[in-house]
Amino acid sequence: MSNKWLRKTLIILLSVIMMVIAGREFLIWLNEKEPIVEGPGVTRVAKLSDYFADLKGTALDTNIYILEGEEDGGAVMVTAGVHTNELSGVMTNVILIENAHVEKGKVILIPFANNSAFTAGHPGEAYPMRYHIKTDWGSRWFRFGDRYTNPIHQWPDPEVYVHYPSGQSLSGFDIRNLNRTFPGKADGTITEKVGHAIMQVIEKENVDLFIDLHEAEPMYPVINTIVANQKAMDIAVIAEMNLSAFEGIKIGKEISPENLHGLTHREVGDHSRALSLLAETCDPIQDPLRGRTDEALIITGKDEFILKAAKLGLLYVPFDETGSHIDVRTGRHTSTVLEIISAFSELYPDKEIIVSDAPRYAEIIEKGVGYFLLKPRG
Amino acid sequence: MFLQTSIILGVIVVVYILALQLLKMSPELSMIISAFAGALVAGFGIPIRHIVEGSFAYLDIILTIVTATIFMNILEESKAISFIVKTVVTKFYKQRLVLLILLMLVLLLPGALTGAGSASVLISGGIVAMVLHSMGIPMVNVTAIVFLGAALSVVAPPVNIYAMIICGGVNMPYIGFFMPILIPTLILAIFTVIYLGWKGEPLELNAIIDKLPPVPAQMTGFKVYLPFIVLAILMVATRLLPHAFPILGIPLIFIISSVVALITVWLSGQKVNILLISKRTVKQLFPLIGTLVAVGIFVQILTLTGVRGLLVITVLSLPIWLVYIGLAVVLPVGEAILLYGIAAVLGVPLIFLFNSLGLNPILATVGIILICPLGDALPPTRIIGRLTVETVGYKDSYNNFLKACSVPWIVITIAGICLVIFANSFKFLLI
Repeated sequence: MSNKWLRKTLIILLSVIMMVIAGREFLIWLNEKEPIVEGPGVTRVAKLSDYFADLKGTALDTNIYILEGEEDGGAVMVTAGVHTNELSGVMTNVILIENAHVEKGKVILIPFANNSAFTAGHPGEAYPMRYHIKTDWGSRWFRFGDRYTNPIHQWPDPEVYVHYPSGQSLSGFDIRNLNRTFPGKADGTITEKVGHAIMQVIEKENVDLFIDLHEAEPMYPVINTIVANQKAMDIAVIAEMNLSAFEGIKIGKEISPENLHGLTHREVGDHSRALSLLAETCDPIQDPLRGRTDEALIITGKDEFILKAAKLGLLYVPFDETGSHIDVRTGRHTSTVLEIISAFSELYPDKEIIVSDAPRYAEIIEKGVGYFLLKPRG
Repeated sequence: MFLQTSIILGVIVVVYILALQLLKMSPELSMIISAFAGALVAGFGIPIRHIVEGSFAYLDIILTIVTATIFMNILEESKAISFIVKTVVTKFYKQRLVLLILLMLVLLLPGALTGAGSASVLISGGIVAMVLHSMGIPMVNVTAIVFLGAALSVVAPPVNIYAMIICGGVNMPYIGFFMPILIPTLILAIFTVIYLGWKGEPLELNAIIDKLPPVPAQMTGFKVYLPFIVLAILMVATRLLPHAFPILGIPLIFIISSVVALITVWLSGQKVNILLISKRTVKQLFPLIGTLVAVGIFVQILTLTGVRGLLVITVLSLPIWLVYIGLAVVLPVGEAILLYGIAAVLGVPLIFLFNSLGLNPILATVGIILICPLGDALPPTRIIGRLTVETVGYKDSYNNFLKACSVPWIVITIAGICLVIFANSFKFLLI
């Protein structure tokens, strides 16, 4: 065999070995889901496809955890994992699923809203596949994904994505971004179908209040804030004041831009009876100037390059050596959700929602997120 | 973290240079080997999942380039390009200015549609060079025109790979680029061809017509333009009827247009072997595909190890005047080393910086991408420079070719820097 053929054979062999090893990891990423423990407050577990049958059997179908009180009241839906690399919302949802009780009204939790986006990374971003949270009894793992629906489930992208129904032009790849495809479309792309399905849940479960949890990179201006549809601005104002006064959480509030379409805070508020809000925390792993991209960054949120950027005045949030730990981010989101529910209940007493046994910011900081994660069976 | 990441960067640079210079590896293999070394030093071992994931970063772009080049190669094989050149020459051989401009447009077309300068050189470069030389333009200037035309064709819309990579990196839609890219590209292309081609002799029509490849009698008029019409309709239809027209994706649009081109070939009584054209296309594009795969892996490892962050924060920390002046050198030199990778490695942080200074990111991006492709004539890679020299049959010294490029090169660079510095004053281009 000549040198040329030997070299070619070796390269092919090496490529096949790498494909097999990587393929195995991708397959695990695609199929394995983290265990979620149904806490004592969970009264029903439904699927998105129960509300919109087209999603049945697809990778985008996802669990909906419902916590109902003995007394009638209002209904709140909290979504996370619309962007699957923004994980503190997922943590907040899981903590509520595994710990909270609802005394009055109904709480509907969707921790993995874009289930497909949890099944792949974004080429070029080098995200870890998973992260682990330490608990007293061991550790729990969770998937870390992409901002967009996995192209295996939806491809190709158009050159320009025209939002339905507004007609607004967006970048082609945003057609796979769930937070650009609300209110969805029954006969649209699979991502648009998820948006449509969530709107169906809102309608069929008579949701009064909708909260979508996100995270943003420190160099992005919409961060550590509540974005509210104009109909929900009074709730945001009260929540902001109470978070600052009672828990020492500095959080901004802003109104959802009327002409920016496809986002939950705009479309859920405009296309349903629910009052819609979105909350953001500070997530260093999304920032392009971050250093080493690994699990430690996901958990601690510590990064020297971002710290340097803070000193150069390039960030939109305070950032110091302590970073932006997952406990802080989850604590902020959990308190924000509870405070928004309280503000809603105060403004609409006939639709009061009372949630108990849910930890707040200080408790989560003190005990850590892991303290509130239950041990899965088996 | 600064020291540790700087060491990793140092290792990557040293291994890259060693692989390229001592082991005489291609830039693509050197990039992959240096990425492996960087990951090892950073303590990630050989991160196979990241290597494979990174190799998929530009899959959509690769599919676009391959299908677009098949389309252009069918047109070349069907003599549609020859027909267009013959038509242009026959109609305008007495009007030197118009002829020069139209020949430059023919040169720009393949690169503009495919995003690859090699397409311009290979598909229309040879035939355009033949006409230009017949117009009494010295061979060194002809070579410079073809290279600079190819460099500008990479920038020209609709397919601009640099812009797509930068947009992906900064989370900005690839929307609104058409006119800001088209207008400067056309102005600079026209300047280039007039500057280098104005002096010469009148064209002998019969002599040049005899030299040009024969066009079949039935390959005329509507049949020549039909594939372009179908391409334009399909591209526009998805935008005009977004909820009624299926999402085809650009690669499928080019495939459908290629089928139409094949039908026109058949209608004109010719035969083309699509299998041979496809094989030739893949062979022709193999280096470019290799580059994009290697750059994808390289960028993934730079991100994983924190080197990307180090580069970004370093650029963001520099005095702004140094950044502006540095564009003239860093972008072409970076292009010569990293090829399209320059868009991800430096283009992205630069756009973050310019955006933070309040400069319009679309126009700043256009400024950057005007300068980058010039580096394709520089060592170590000289990819498009070498290809141009071979295609047009230039035999003189490579340095003389670079000298011939120098004035338009400087003008293009100044235009690019001005588009960045005065981005907000050029907002009228955002039509």
